[in-house]
Amino acid sequence: YQDLHTFELQAPTRLIEWARGNRVCVAGYGQSGGNEILQLLPPPTLQVKETQGLCPERDFKVECGGFSNRPVYSLKYVPDTSLLVTSGPPDSSLQVWQVSAEDSDVIKPVSAISTENGTGQPWAKIATISTRAPWVLHGSRLNNVQITEVESRKNVYMAASRNNEELSSLAFLDDNTLLLCCAKGQLCLADLRQPQGPLEAASVPSAPCGERWCMGVGRGPQGSDSSCQPVVCLSSGGHLTLTDVRKASEALALAKCRVPPPSSGAEFLCVSWAPALDGCLAVSGFDGTVQVYDTQGWDSSGREAEPIFIHKGHAFGGGDSSRDPALVTVHTWHPQKPRTLLSAASDGSLHVWDWVQPCGKC
Amino acid sequence: VLSLFCLGAGAGQDVGRSCILVSIAGKNVMLDCGMHMGYNDDRRFPDFSYITQNGRLTDFLDCVIISHFHLDHCGALPYFSEMVGYDGPIYMTHPTKAICPILLEDYRKITVDKKGETNFFTSQMIKDCMKKVVAVHLHQTVQVDEELEIKAYYAGHVLGAAMFQIKVGYESVVYTGDYNMTPDRHLGAAWIDKCRPDLLISESTYATTIRDSKRCRERDFLKKVHETVERGGKVLIPVFALGRAQELCILLETFWERMNLKAPIYFSTGLTEKANHYYKLFITWTNQKIRKTFVQRNMFEFKHIKAFDRAFADNPGPMVVFATPGMLHAGQSLQIFRKWAGNEKNMVIMPGYCVQGTVGHKILSGQRKLEMEGRQILEVKMQVEYMSFSAHADAKGIMQLIRQAEPRNVLLVHGEAKKMEFLKQKIEQEFHVNCYMPANGETTTIFTNPSIPVDISLGLLKRETAIGLLPDAKKPKLMHGTLIMKDNSFRLVSPEQALKELGLAEHQLRFTCRVHIQDPRKEHETVLRVYNHLKGVLKDYSVQHLPDGSITVESILIQATAHSEDQGTKVLLVSWTYQDEELGSYLTSLLKKGLPPSTS
Repeated sequence: YQDLHTFELQAPTRLIEWARGNRVCVAGYGQSGGNEILQLLPPPTLQVKETQGLCPERDFKVECGGFSNRPVYSLKYVPDTSLLVTSGPPDSSLQVWQVSAEDSDVIKPVSAISTENGTGQPWAKIATISTRAPWVLHGSRLNNVQITEVESRKNVYMAASRNNEELSSLAFLDDNTLLLCCAKGQLCLADLRQPQGPLEAASVPSAPCGERWCMGVGRGPQGSDSSCQPVVCLSSGGHLTLTDVRKASEALALAKCRVPPPSSGAEFLCVSWAPALDGCLAVSGFDGTVQVYDTQGWDSSGREAEPIFIHKGHAFGGGDSSRDPALVTVHTWHPQKPRTLLSAASDGSLHVWDWVQPCGKC
Repeated sequence: VLSLFCLGAGAGQDVGRSCILVSIAGKNVMLDCGMHMGYNDDRRFPDFSYITQNGRLTDFLDCVIISHFHLDHCGALPYFSEMVGYDGPIYMTHPTKAICPILLEDYRKITVDKKGETNFFTSQMIKDCMKKVVAVHLHQTVQVDEELEIKAYYAGHVLGAAMFQIKVGYESVVYTGDYNMTPDRHLGAAWIDKCRPDLLISESTYATTIRDSKRCRERDFLKKVHETVERGGKVLIPVFALGRAQELCILLETFWERMNLKAPIYFSTGLTEKANHYYKLFITWTNQKIRKTFVQRNMFEFKHIKAFDRAFADNPGPMVVFATPGMLHAGQSLQIFRKWAGNEKNMVIMPGYCVQGTVGHKILSGQRKLEMEGRQILEVKMQVEYMSFSAHADAKGIMQLIRQAEPRNVLLVHGEAKKMEFLKQKIEQEFHVNCYMPANGETTTIFTNPSIPVDISLGLLKRETAIGLLPDAKKPKLMHGTLIMKDNSFRLVSPEQALKELGLAEHQLRFTCRVHIQDPRKEHETVLRVYNHLKGVLKDYSVQHLPDGSITVESILIQATAHSEDQGTKVLLVSWTYQDEELGSYLTSLLKKGLPPSTS
């Protein structure tokens, strides 16, 4: 490690979202209510380019917080506004919140966006964009994917699909293209300019069925066409596929990551591209580790890949060995510092770590 | 009613002064008497004129309580007691009483001797002030006067730090001072019982912080020390004699042992003896592990840490030295600093806050050229690091303490006009208590609902439970009795017993009500009508027609007379005693409704 900081949240989180000014947001997912949404100001060590070892300010500060009765499974800030959107069981509705750090440090609930036939549906996956207006893309199945204008709660787009496949994540590839990832592994594209057009199946999973899939979308450098960024999909069995959704429906590369038997379910599967390191991605959700891989040099053989770094910190959590080992619930890369990641686990731990490249070019 | 006034409270992480006035059931207590170390003028002391404009402080205040020896909690004490004037009792724990004067004297020296200030307390004033101190033990109830009592609880944080419970009758307040809910290497964690105070006053400087784990801080500290020593450099750690120094010593000793390091570690002469002395004296104040091992071997007798000799500073090669004083403002640590500052291989690690004007403060602010006496310029090439190991409670810790004590109200002192609406709501939601966050100079009034225990006579209890439904533990039960308040005790007895005990005669209250009935016939016919009507309706009651023409329903008497002016109207006189109020009112309203048409 170059650096490692461990923190303990009062309640575990399954999301870490970046906000303006390198702030991060975490939220509780307890089923019995009383969950807190916390917007944190990271310590100066995370703000500056040069890492300082001994620094007077090494702590996260809770800048503002809110209370949610529902478990918060997903949270996204709405760019260029002071709003954020959350979702979670027991249905596919969304909650809209206002963050106004100037007059008060409470994140207030503002409104709710409900969906038709929303009750009983799995929780909604969300993505936000503000190019034309503050929009939230949400849905829990292919047939209820829609875009709602956040402030007016008006529906501006509805995907034309009768397929009720469950979704595991969705994203804006650019201002007009949506990418949807189904839990069973299919990727679908939709063009907002053709609202009635059918969803284009972009790829089909290459691994055995019965596994659950999730995806990670790369963010190209500002202004570039992000269609050149491959999409990575991760399955609960540890299969990784890299696909270029525009060019071909054939996988660019296949690999397998080390998964401890038996696979502990797909609740917290998470895969993401490093924003500042070409070809590097991180995988978590199988156990108490976060694994970093270098995909340059991967082919389509699908054999097991060797991670270039494994963060094991969460497995050595609190001294209580009688409890269930901690499971990493989410991880995220620092937007600017190339090798810095944040990861959280089911025991409430929050780690910030900066790994050293063993050797090679990454 | 509890009333609280913040004369000063900690502002920011390490700077601030604490001084709170509490008025509880007519008693006035001052909690802490701190000095603000960031100011050089009168602003460093609290403005005591707020307390009383003209009137002696000794008459107004019932006592002063000091939570621990940090200057931002006791720094203004000699000024307060000797220069402003207070002769009443000052309470603090034994270790605090032992260590306070040392710190105060040290600070006085810097301010007066080094900085040449004049309006400051003298050494004699410190001594005179300490004469007014009454030392207390943990969990010992101390009677300040007939009505006011205080009790100290372990607070962790530093040696001797305590949280205080202040009780007057059935009202109580708990003041935490600075505390820590997680144990460290040489001190345990704060603890309090379920004392259910009306108000818990807690510091909240770190309430909105999520702290980096101690392990990471220690690891980084050890890394820096190790790196410096590995490259042949010298590490200077200026410390105050007691407190974090012990913590760091234990840490280094363990690390040296584990890594089998050979570089020498030195501890300033005089420091070790003094520290050892105090820790042995106050062994009960350290944590479990230390207490256990102290019996086998003295935890503060280190294998790798030796006493320092001035000459060693010139020895070649790597070494680590702990030296006093902590802010590099004088004495040995400054001497060593001057010797080592010019070499970039060396390092100085400041483990705490440094007062403005000291060398420590200057180098932490980035100054690299210092003017020493005789106009000599010292160039600082050695690495300057700062590591805060201070132990304070964060939001999680505050919640834990509230859970332990179960107060009815919570008050957070934070000094800055910080918005902590979120924490306030969090506390209010989780514990269903009011949470107050006053700023300096604000008065907060809290209305309390004291529970007053009352003894109830067995006879009364039996009687009350015999009537009506079974008691429900969750619902308050309404009882009738007489409350006798005598000699500080409250007793609830039956009225008869009360009358007997007090030698009073019982008075009888009788009510009479007039009901007008339209009936042109003779009185005795009206009476018969009434009797028949009542007999028919009140089947469960004893209704009798007496020979003298009156009707009785239980013990209620009804008589009929003709109206003086109108023969067609009869007046029924319904008369009952206070005990029969219910039945009496019922009868009256029944009769007012009128009689059924007569059948005969």
